[in-house]
Amino acid sequence: MLTSGPVVVMQLPEQLNLDGVRTFLPELEPLLECHRPRIVLDCSQVRYIDSAGVEMMLHCLEEAMKRDGDLKLAALSPESEVILELMRVARVFEAFASSDEAVRSFNAVPAEAVPQDAPWVANVFGEIGALKQAS
Amino acid sequence: MGGSELREGGTGVLSAIVIVGPETREEEESCIAAGEAAATPPRVESQIQQGTPLVCVEVLGWSVIARLIDELRRAGVDMISMLGNDSGAPASAGIDSAAKIELGSREEAAQEVTGQVLTFKESGVEVILVVRAGAYVDIDLRDAFQFHREQGQAVTRAFDKEGPLDLWVIDPAWVSEGMDTLATLRAAEPVRYFVRGYVNRLEHPRDLRRLAVDGLTSRCGLRPQGSEIRPGVWMDEGAHVHRDARIVAPAFIGRGARIGEQCLITRCSNIESNSHVDYGTVVEDSSILPNSYVGIGLDLSHSIVDGNNLLNLERGVTVEIADPCVIRQNRVPQQEKNFQAPVAFGLGGEQLSPVEEGLR
Repeated sequence: MLTSGPVVVMQLPEQLNLDGVRTFLPELEPLLECHRPRIVLDCSQVRYIDSAGVEMMLHCLEEAMKRDGDLKLAALSPESEVILELMRVARVFEAFASSDEAVRSFNAVPAEAVPQDAPWVANVFGEIGALKQAS
Repeated sequence: MGGSELREGGTGVLSAIVIVGPETREEEESCIAAGEAAATPPRVESQIQQGTPLVCVEVLGWSVIARLIDELRRAGVDMISMLGNDSGAPASAGIDSAAKIELGSREEAAQEVTGQVLTFKESGVEVILVVRAGAYVDIDLRDAFQFHREQGQAVTRAFDKEGPLDLWVIDPAWVSEGMDTLATLRAAEPVRYFVRGYVNRLEHPRDLRRLAVDGLTSRCGLRPQGSEIRPGVWMDEGAHVHRDARIVAPAFIGRGARIGEQCLITRCSNIESNSHVDYGTVVEDSSILPNSYVGIGLDLSHSIVDGNNLLNLERGVTVEIADPCVIRQNRVPQQEKNFQAPVAFGLGGEQLSPVEEGLR
């Protein structure tokens, strides 16, 4: 297990089937029980994934979100992406090219996501100004 | 292939030899050694390492090879010999009417082609059409035979804008005993007959998907089997679509295929014979090859499904899915099977035993 501050990076097993889940889930579950768990699942080793693996990922995401946390995926192979898309779950997860990127995304300042060219503050003040002019 | 009565052009007894595999590197090399390579575009390495040749895979209800044989019959070709290995010989109506000769190695193929030409020669055949079935070609056979007759040469080869096609019109007198006819044909400097119609070389499964799209959008002469139940939606015999499923044109539902409740089939998708798309699944811009099962609540797009192999054309990856709840080879009665071997995409593919429907 690799850790990076409060974000935990877990390496998924090569075979993410029922057997793989049975081995992996007991390691992951304690980490999900804390407040605001922030987990990155590194998929770089995954060679096989089936519905049991996908179900486990959804279960972990649900548990993380219940506790105001999140679970992100990193280094998905094109094959794994195809499986997740086929099972309609690709859109549910945030996915990143590498674990580092996924970890950084947890620490990103939310303000960065707001477009600079259209600040809501400017719009609000603009509207107030227009109202004043109208009155 | 187009064209109706060939004999209107004044040609005598006609025959055709259709070859389906085996294709080997030696043949490619023999072409290069003969200097033909300059006109031949580099071949894309097919991802299909084993299994059925693409010409034998069902597209819009019927394989390209079955359509070719049928077209030759309707065009008045008296004798048709199909040379090919067993895995590439689908039990389709058009092929049943042709004499089939099984081939093993390339050497056997060479001998058989020459043997067949000599047999036809003895039967008094005047013109032989030799086709290595590897591409879908919309060709006017009548015009090609007429052209060959007018040129007065022993060999005429079809070309399109990308280069030569494996389709020749030959005079039987040109072939002698012991000759490797195919290699000699490839090396020969023939008269060129330019095909003005649609050509799809079927070198990659992607081409198979393109052929389905082009057939559904009338860009080529390949017509879907069955009837057009409403504009752009074709359904073959015994196809069943749940009343709560939605089929958006153009689309094709093959013989005995089943589309479950709440499914959506859209954007030129073709569901081939005896396939089953289960509850709530969306199939968009995809081909589902015969006898495949696609499970519940899936989102399939830009892909080809064959048994438990899924080829995603957008990402260019093949995934073999072992979970039979997701996709699998459908078990169908023997007489309903359309081809004997599933197509395998890439190295990960393998021949699969049918899975019981009840497993899910």
